Amino acid sequence: MSTDIIVPIDLYEEEEDAVVTSWLVDDGAQIEAGDLVAELMTAKVQHEIQAPVSGTLRILKQVDDVVAKGDVIGSVG
Amino acid sequence: MTQSKNRKLTIARAMAESVAQEMRADERVFVMGEDIGELGGVYGNTRGLLEEFGKDRIRDTPISETAFIGAAVGAAQDGMRPVVELMFVDFFGVCFDAIYNLMAKNIYFSGGALKVPMVLMTSTGGGYSDGGQHSQCLYGTFAHLPGMKVVAPSNAHDAKGLMTAAIRDDSPVVFMYHKRLQGMGWLGTEAGATVQTPEESYTVEIGKAAVSRAGTDVTIVSLGLGVHHALKAAEQLSEEGVEAEVIDLRSLVPLDRDTIRQSVAKTGRLIVVDEDYHSYGVSGEVIASVTEHDISVLKASPRRVAYPDVPIPFERGMEQFCLPSVEKIIAAYREIQPSRSPSAASV
Repeated sequence: MSTDIIVPIDLYEEEEDAVVTSWLVDDGAQIEAGDLVAELMTAKVQHEIQAPVSGTLRILKQVDDVVAKGDVIGSVG
Repeated sequence: MTQSKNRKLTIARAMAESVAQEMRADERVFVMGEDIGELGGVYGNTRGLLEEFGKDRIRDTPISETAFIGAAVGAAQDGMRPVVELMFVDFFGVCFDAIYNLMAKNIYFSGGALKVPMVLMTSTGGGYSDGGQHSQCLYGTFAHLPGMKVVAPSNAHDAKGLMTAAIRDDSPVVFMYHKRLQGMGWLGTEAGATVQTPEESYTVEIGKAAVSRAGTDVTIVSLGLGVHHALKAAEQLSEEGVEAEVIDLRSLVPLDRDTIRQSVAKTGRLIVVDEDYHSYGVSGEVIASVTEHDISVLKASPRRVAYPDVPIPFERGMEQFCLPSVEKIIAAYREIQPSRSPSAASV
């Protein structure tokens, strides 16, 4: 059973898309709940994505991919 | 903050982590610059510092580089260890007297009685249509003038270690970071700069280059973003059986001439990739370091892949035309090794 890493609806106020600028852990690595795992950017503002649970990271959206609020960018299994 | 051993950092985060660790260890360390406080730096490299250390040690300044860089020189001479930011290296014009007549020379002018332990961090590079006064590298301009150490990392591991070494150095160090390597999307993204970076404090020795990729057929020397172009070119050349050695200078002053010479002695061919202007710059200095030492090691004339000697265009197509690229590096290799080019092979 894996848990999705989702772009939170309240990550930023505007209704615009974001771009994945960094994954701070490799695909397949072990991560802990609360770890900083990725950075997204809207306009010139950077936002942080934390791991929702502990487990093995699977990256689903790559650097430079454009994502929207609610999108699944990875999973933890 | 991520705690696992697998943790990677962007250069922006690596710089901020180094400064934070040194500030915890040494109360003389403080930061000054434009938008380095509440904003956390235009390039993200001072994020989180104001919240931890407060406004006395993380000081947002008015837009007068002349004033706050001059103030930093005085503070450094008086026993503090300032880290100051020149937001764009292109802005050096208004404050260069403080940099090269005061910061760079006062240790010498005082006969060694004064130390000037300060770090001047500044952003370099273009590629995102910000115009000719926001896109330059000016590596050669700073490296040319004696009295300052100059570093330019290509990845987060080296950025953290070089920043820690710079803060602990009793001489002034210019820390030049390329905007495209910061992990900030609007400046372009180079994923190769985001690498595994230890959480504990460590230093990378100033003045030591790194062999980023071992090879036997040609040496490609670069710094900053150019290292990533060189590594990609090396991968393409490898597909046709050419093994390029890639050297990441990491420091411009002191310049690690020994590592360059040892590599070219092995490969016999040299290409220098530099986003700074072609003439009177780092690329010429690297080539001279080889040819002055022993010209007999060269099997072909060295080549430069550098920025043309023109003010940087704003228009996207024109700017991209001027920038160093993987394709230009491979074309330079074809020039010095024509017998291996596909066209020659098919004749």
